[in-house]
Amino acid sequence: MDTFILISITGIGLGALYFLVASGLSLIYGLMGVLNFAHGTFMSVGAYMGLWFSTQVVHTTNTWTFIGALIVGGLGGGLFALIVEQLVITRLYERHIDQALVTVGVALVVGAMLGGWFTNDLRLLPTPTWFINIVKVRGAIIPVDRFLYIGVAALLLVVMLAILKFTRIGLIIRAGVENRHMVTALGINVRLAFSAVFFLGGFAAGVGGVLTAAYQNGVSPLTAGTWLIYGFIVVVVGGMGSIGGSALAAMLIGITKQFANYYIPGLGDFVIVFLLAAVLLTKPQGLLGKVSA
Amino acid sequence: MLRWKYSRPLLGIIVALLAVGPLFTFGPLHGPGLQQTLAVAFLYGALALTYDLLFGFTGLLSFGHALFFASGMYLTTIFVNTSHINLFLSSFLAIGITGVLAVLIGSASLRTKGITFAMVTLAFGEAGHVIISRNFGNLTNGENGLPINADRIPQIFIGVVNTKYLYWLALVTLIFVYAAIWWVTESSAGRVFSALRDNETRVAVLGLNPTRFKLVAFVISAVLASGVGVSMVLVSGGSAPRFADAGTTIALLLMVILGGAVTRWGAVLGGIFYSIASTRLQDLSQSTALDSIPKIIKGPLSEPAFTLGLIFIFIVMFAPGGLSGAYYRVRFRYLNRSSK
Amino acid sequence: MNALAVKDLHVYIQGSHILQGVNFEVPANQVTALLGRNGVGKSTTLKAIMGLYPSTGSVKLFDKELNGVATHKIARGGVGYVPEDREVFSTLTVKENLNLAAHAENPNFELVYSLFPELLSRGAQRAGTLSGGQQQMVAIARPLLNKNQILLVDEPTKGLAPKLVAEVADALALVAHESTMLVVEQNLALVKRIAQFIVVMDQGKVIFEGGPENLHDEKFVHSMLGVSGGHN
Repeated sequence: MDTFILISITGIGLGALYFLVASGLSLIYGLMGVLNFAHGTFMSVGAYMGLWFSTQVVHTTNTWTFIGALIVGGLGGGLFALIVEQLVITRLYERHIDQALVTVGVALVVGAMLGGWFTNDLRLLPTPTWFINIVKVRGAIIPVDRFLYIGVAALLLVVMLAILKFTRIGLIIRAGVENRHMVTALGINVRLAFSAVFFLGGFAAGVGGVLTAAYQNGVSPLTAGTWLIYGFIVVVVGGMGSIGGSALAAMLIGITKQFANYYIPGLGDFVIVFLLAAVLLTKPQGLLGKVSA
Repeated sequence: MLRWKYSRPLLGIIVALLAVGPLFTFGPLHGPGLQQTLAVAFLYGALALTYDLLFGFTGLLSFGHALFFASGMYLTTIFVNTSHINLFLSSFLAIGITGVLAVLIGSASLRTKGITFAMVTLAFGEAGHVIISRNFGNLTNGENGLPINADRIPQIFIGVVNTKYLYWLALVTLIFVYAAIWWVTESSAGRVFSALRDNETRVAVLGLNPTRFKLVAFVISAVLASGVGVSMVLVSGGSAPRFADAGTTIALLLMVILGGAVTRWGAVLGGIFYSIASTRLQDLSQSTALDSIPKIIKGPLSEPAFTLGLIFIFIVMFAPGGLSGAYYRVRFRYLNRSSK
Repeated sequence: MNALAVKDLHVYIQGSHILQGVNFEVPANQVTALLGRNGVGKSTTLKAIMGLYPSTGSVKLFDKELNGVATHKIARGGVGYVPEDREVFSTLTVKENLNLAAHAENPNFELVYSLFPELLSRGAQRAGTLSGGQQQMVAIARPLLNKNQILLVDEPTKGLAPKLVAEVADALALVAHESTMLVVEQNLALVKRIAQFIVVMDQGKVIFEGGPENLHDEKFVHSMLGVSGGHN
């Protein structure tokens, strides 16, 4: 029983990190049809901003400075995403394949810049001392940081859903995911919504970058790629453009991966791809996706 | 039509010169260093061409193409090393199994379209990379890669003095792949592929099954890629996980865009250019030439991906058609002027 | 006085020459019907006016050039659009659909709710769960919330049950008093009822402009539209 709880909670913790990457990917794809390969660099930029804040700006490491790093990382990722959107994406308006290609180029260039400046080695991100504590849940020994990941992801999920539900820009985003052209035909400049989803997605990815740096004990430009691929898988399984779908799929994939790895180490990645294939064969639009993806 | 009349003899002369180059004891192609670099470049040219069939001609943006290349490499290496089958049979088996794999993965992935297809192939490609790099079933030797057992392959492919044979092998591979792709794209099936890229509904209206034709293109390009993989095993002395990762497929995409999709020689040129440029840029970064440049610029410049990525972004945004597109623009301008 | 003047409008879609130089005018404060067989480019014409397809040529709204202007600016400039197949946002509620469309300073919800009282009672219902007729009401209501110089209405009665056709027709007839309208419609009875001017298209071009009285001529209807009129 305690093993079951341990794997479930660590799985949800992992899923929380996947969600932070996937939510932005899903919104960006759902609204604009852009497959954003630069999303991993939003994570990296956020992580390095968080690292910069934790080591250069503040010189102590406690809960508050870590929260500060999360916010700085999120803002860094969000603003960087805005720059990418304004500089390259908007110039290729409606050319979806070219947009995807150009984000590949951005990922290469930014990855190389970060690698050139900071080397590709893992750099340790200072974390509060309580990160290494453990909590006992019904006999299962759980590293306490997993609860932090879950909490942060849940908070961002609620904030994003609230923005989508209760604000005008959220209304435009939801309508745009369904039918972008009709939104413009109603007199709405949908490009504002594009910028909004890039910022929101970049913010979540930046926060995710800081958290994954804590999770994998460091920051490196090379690790973003793997998270990005998982982000894509989550988006496909959850359905394009659906935040709720992303959250659900992220949990499902995190838990499945942990269970598979528990029984046969290394099997996790493999099982996830089979899960992906199964979803595609039975429900090509994803679990909660719009029908025409 | 025009372009064949002008470029075919030129192409023939270039290939002939490249073929006889290593025979002379003088000239640039004499040394094994350049022969090795060019052998790798030829194979990437061929691989880029197989990717062009998929992406350029049929309009399928796949991010899993490296899987089939790596599958050809690893299966050949494993068969040669662990069984008593010779190299020739091993490579045939490897190519055949890759073909079956391509049918399976292709049928699943082609249930989706466009950008979703890209994501799904990315996931399959990544699964392959994981299987290889995690050493499933103790066959692949994980992250360290799997060198081929030199005792079990023809001795003309072993040793620095024999580099010219690898060079010729790579050149022959490139010519073979070029001919195969030429034949496929000029056939009636090839016309259906291009029609699929331009307007799928129109193909469906003609009573042809779009998915089946896409699958054919997918499998042909996968099988050819695995064939290039067989040659790569010999040229690089074995298999390594880096050949299977998404980075390799992305490099192929860069090559095709760089050279210009839909023109066969453009993709080849893009592959050759990319391959040589990334080795040269790597050398440059380790040289002292950059020492005087401040670190903030030197850092990125020391990464080949930085320069290549910038060129790539530039081409996508401002110069669609890449190198071959630029060539045709200049060519047509010249022809227009001379005809006046 | 013309509200809208379309000159030499060309549209290419995936290499096909869909509109091949469309010319016509829409008189102000009147209802103009755009007619023609299926696939001759009527919907494409409306979409091109809205800037939803790239086009060459000229589209003038009271001397203001619309061609090349971004779609949302065309809509803000007073061109209301009711698309073919309604295109309501199915995951949004009825109220959200209307709120999204309302960009005027004082959106005219009274007009909309007086025309379609049902939309008020069904405000919280998801538009995707509405019947076809109700969805059409949402689609027509959206532009009516704002001030329009012209309304483009694409096949408002397509696929509706006869009873609903009458209801939508009544609403359109009421709206027609308020605004210039360009309507694509297959239902000739409705056209005869509300239109003061007709434009007929064939194969990407305008082949006839004139009064709706021509529609009473069986021969005209048969040669122009390929249907037998009079039955509706």
